[in-house]
Parts: sequence; C-alpha cells; structure tokens
Amino acid sequence: MAVPAARRAGRAALDRRAAAVGLRFVLGPDYRLGFLFVAPSVLLVLALVAYPFGYAIYLSMTRKYVGVPPVWVGLDNYVKLTWDGFFQRAVVNSFIFTFGSVSVKLALGVAMALVLTSRIRFRSFFTGVLLIPWVAPTVVSALNFLWIFDYSLGVLNYLLVRVFRLLPQGVGWLSEANTAMASVIAVNIWRGFPFFGISFLAGMKAIPAELYEAAAVDGAGPLQRFRRVTLPGIKNIMIIVVLLSTIWTFNDFQIVYILTRGGPGGATQVLPVLTYEIAFGAQRLGEAIAVALYLLPALALVIIVLARYMRRGQAR
Amino acid sequence: MRPRALVEPLVSYAFLAVLLVVVSFPFYWMTITALKSETQMRSLLSMFWPDPVVLDNFRHLLGQTDFMAWFKNSVLVSVSSTFVATAIGTLGAYSLARLRFLGRAFLSSAVLITYLVPPSILFIPLYAQIRNLGLADSLAGLIAAYPSFTVPFVTWLLMGYFESIPVELEEAAMIDGATRFGAFRRVILPLAAPGVLAAGLYAFTQAWNEFLYALVFITDVKLRTLPVGLSSFITGDVYGWGYLMAGAVLTTLPVIAAYIYLQKYMVEGLTAGSVKG
Repeated sequence: MAVPAARRAGRAALDRRAAAVGLRFVLGPDYRLGFLFVAPSVLLVLALVAYPFGYAIYLSMTRKYVGVPPVWVGLDNYVKLTWDGFFQRAVVNSFIFTFGSVSVKLALGVAMALVLTSRIRFRSFFTGVLLIPWVAPTVVSALNFLWIFDYSLGVLNYLLVRVFRLLPQGVGWLSEANTAMASVIAVNIWRGFPFFGISFLAGMKAIPAELYEAAAVDGAGPLQRFRRVTLPGIKNIMIIVVLLSTIWTFNDFQIVYILTRGGPGGATQVLPVLTYEIAFGAQRLGEAIAVALYLLPALALVIIVLARYMRRGQAR
Repeated sequence: MRPRALVEPLVSYAFLAVLLVVVSFPFYWMTITALKSETQMRSLLSMFWPDPVVLDNFRHLLGQTDFMAWFKNSVLVSVSSTFVATAIGTLGAYSLARLRFLGRAFLSSAVLITYLVPPSILFIPLYAQIRNLGLADSLAGLIAAYPSFTVPFVTWLLMGYFESIPVELEEAAMIDGATRFGAFRRVILPLAAPGVLAAGLYAFTQAWNEFLYALVFITDVKLRTLPVGLSSFITGDVYGWGYLMAGAVLTTLPVIAAYIYLQKYMVEGLTAGSVKG
C-alpha cells in the first residue's frame, strides 16, 4: 500500500514540475520576477490612466453636472459642439497656437544645435544656460512674461517706447486681439525651443564624423553637408521631437491660462483652457470632456506614429 | 578643419549672444523686480538695477502670505510622489527591459502610450475618481495622482538605461550562483544608480512644476502647491509684482539646483536615452 502512494506522490511532483516548465514555456522564462516587478506599474497605469480615460469617454456621452449623477445623451455633446461657434474658434486657435509654436521651435532648435556644434568655446556653459527655460517651472515663466508684457509698468513697453523709441506708445500685448495670440505663442516658443535644440544636438553628435569628412573631400560646402549629411542624420529625432512637441503644445494649459485665460474676447481661447472653463466655470462636465476628446482620433494617430518611432529608437 | 562644424564661429557667437539675452532676461528681470522697492517699481526709475536693494518683498512674502505653507505642501507632494514613482518605475523598467515574459512588448508600448496621453484629457475623470475616494482637497489626492505622469516617464527613461547595461554582467553573476533577483539587486541596481537618481530628480521637477491637477483638485487656500499659490497672487485687482516675483525666485531655485546636478545627464543620457532616433 505504501509503495503506490509514494509513487503517486512522485508522479504528482513530476506533474507539477512539468506544469511549471509548461508555464515557463507559455509565459516566458522570467515570468515570475517579470510579472512581480511590472505589476505595480501596470496597476497604477490602469487605475490612474486607463480607467479615467475610459470613464472620460463615457462621461463625454452624458449630461453631467458636479455632484449629480450623469444622464446618458449619446453623441449629443459632440454634435452640439460641432456647431458651436466658441468651440470652432477654440479649435482654430489651438491649431494656430500649435503650428505657430512648433514651426518656430523647430527652426530655432536646428539653429541652436548647429551653433553648438560649431567651433566655439564654453560650449557646455552655453548649452546649460540655454536649457534653463525648459527646466524652470512653466507657471513661473508665464508669470514672468505676464509682468514683462504689462501695459503700464512692463519692461517690454519700456524698452520699445523709452529706450529704443521704436513705438510712440505702449502696446497692450495680452489685452489686444491682434497681439495676444502672437504673445502667447512667443512664450511657448521661448519655453520649448531648448528641448528641440538639445535633442538635435544629441542627434548631430551621433552622426559619424567620417560622413562629414567624406562629404568635404567630395567638395561639398557647408550648405550641402547640412542638407546631405546633417538633415538625414537627425531625421528620426526631428520626427520624434516635432510630434512630441505637437502633442505637448496642443495640450498646453498653463501658458494661455495664466497669460490671457483665452482672452481678449476668445482671441486666444484654446481647447485645454476651454475644457477647464466649461468644467469648472460652467460646471458642465460631460460637455467639457467632449471638448477635450473631440480631436481624440487625431491625437491617437499622432501618439501611435510617435510611439512607433520612439520604440524603434530605443530598440537600437 | 572640422567638417562637422557648419557655421562660422563668429556667426555662432553672435547668435548665441542673442539667444543668451532672450533666455536669461526674464530670470534677471524676475530677480531684480523681487529686490526693488514698491516706490521704485512705480516710478520707472533705474529700470534695470534695484536702487536701493531691499528685501521688503521677501519679508512680505514670508510674513504676510501663505507662501511658506505652499512651499511645504510642494515639498511634501513632490518628494513623496517622486519616491513612489521612482521605486515603481525602476522595477517596471527593469522587468520590461530585461526579463522575458509574455506580454512584455505590449506592456512596453502601453507604458510609452500612457506617457504620451496629455493631462488635459485626464484631469476631469481623475478629479471625479479622487473625489470618490474622498481625497479631493487634500495633498494625499495629489500624491496619488502625480504618479500618473511620473511613473510612465521614469519607466520609459530607465528602460533605455537598463538596456544600455551589458547583459553579460548579469549572466556572469547568475553563473556564479546569484538568482535573477540577486543579480538585479547586487549588480544591475548599483550600476543603474546614476540613472535612477537622474530619473528621480527629473520626476521631482515634473511634480514640482505641475499646475493643472493642483489647480483642479485643491480648493483650500492653505493646501495649494507653489505654482497654483503663486498664480493666485494675480487674481486680485492689486498685482503684488514685487512679492510675486520674490515667490517666483524661491520657486525656481530648487529646480535649478536639481538641474545643475542633472545637467550632464540631461545633455547626454536623458535626450539620448529617451529620444534617440
């Protein structure tokens, strides 16, 4: 009687081992530690990003006020927004804000990287100082510019009127419809271009020097070397940085909120600020989320393309 | 001759000089505004140098406003959410970069995509969630919410870092009898320490600078963080530019300190690791 029992126990142990090997085969050789280590991140992302995101999509199809249960309305919010003049204007403004900022940041970034790769001294000092707008708190920078742009006591008007005498009188940079948008774009450029520059600098440094030497031997001038060697060499980084910045700029809340709150008269109203105003000014949460999600398909497309480029960059 | 240098040094210096002025002027202006007296500021005299240099603004800021409370709140929120994010992110990054298991590729992409989802989409549902948990209007709510952007960032950054550490080091340790976990703890983690520190500091500055969640989740004046507190100085009719700029100086300093330490990683590690093409 004892012998078959022992044999059975032995077989059970073997089965367990076989099962463990099978699990390792299906789940991968390091599945235990792998799952254990990645579990906190996964749970956190599910709780703080995936779930809220799904909830946002649901809420956007409801009529929802703060403290009151949501009422299902289907695509009503989206349909209404489509014909809403304020919303249309905010969409147009968001695109102007984004493309105005990103295109100048791109040009300035390339220029910054080019001068930082030229034969200069104190390179790391220059690089360090030029990065400061990127690391300083955006709110602080926005408040600084609010003060600089101030109509009566601001230093910009002081410089233009009293020091350089370029203008007969001061300009209300943020309070006039025709200068407000340019002003908020300028602040976004000021804050964002160092990231372009530093990324392109890293890309340019990674281009093998032999390529430049070969091009120089073949008689290529600086302009040709730039077009034939530098640009192709940083193409991937450029795509990544431009897409990344497009997402960030399109969703930039702080600069516009602090400088103009979308004013004057909606001249700088962009989607993130409009979302906030509808949600916490008008307390209409469902409609507010619909504003934030209206362009989700476009955002998703940009994110997917960008993620693909970034994954490819990291895999190498 | 250096064929890589495409721009003449003279042109470079001229361009850099202009950029330098444009970039540093707002910080210069912020600092001297903080050191000016109210009368001098209103008079437009000696615009570019405080005359006399006074500390009234700092005294007012620290004595008459809630600035000190906001500073403490910011420190508490940023430091604790940074520790949480760095711990979770480091483990996750190691797992995704090195360990072989089902779903790794999918999860790596998922981490990256969550890093790219903008807060302007998430702040309303997150607020609803924080409210349901009873954490609205508390610093705990912010500490709970900030890992939503710091964890994906730290994970993504450190994945690149772990991948750059030769796998042979780990294999050697395991041949010598270390377990996978032992190899991670004794060999990989010490090697990755500078990267972990840099990622942590970077997460700290992101939490320190965060504005939207803090604006939405917190209503109690005493519980504000620095960015929201500072911006609340401009809602009244009277703009206290002097003490506002004094507050701006004190808010910028910790970030600049972290940055000076981080600089070499920012220029080489960070950009190359996170956005190499």
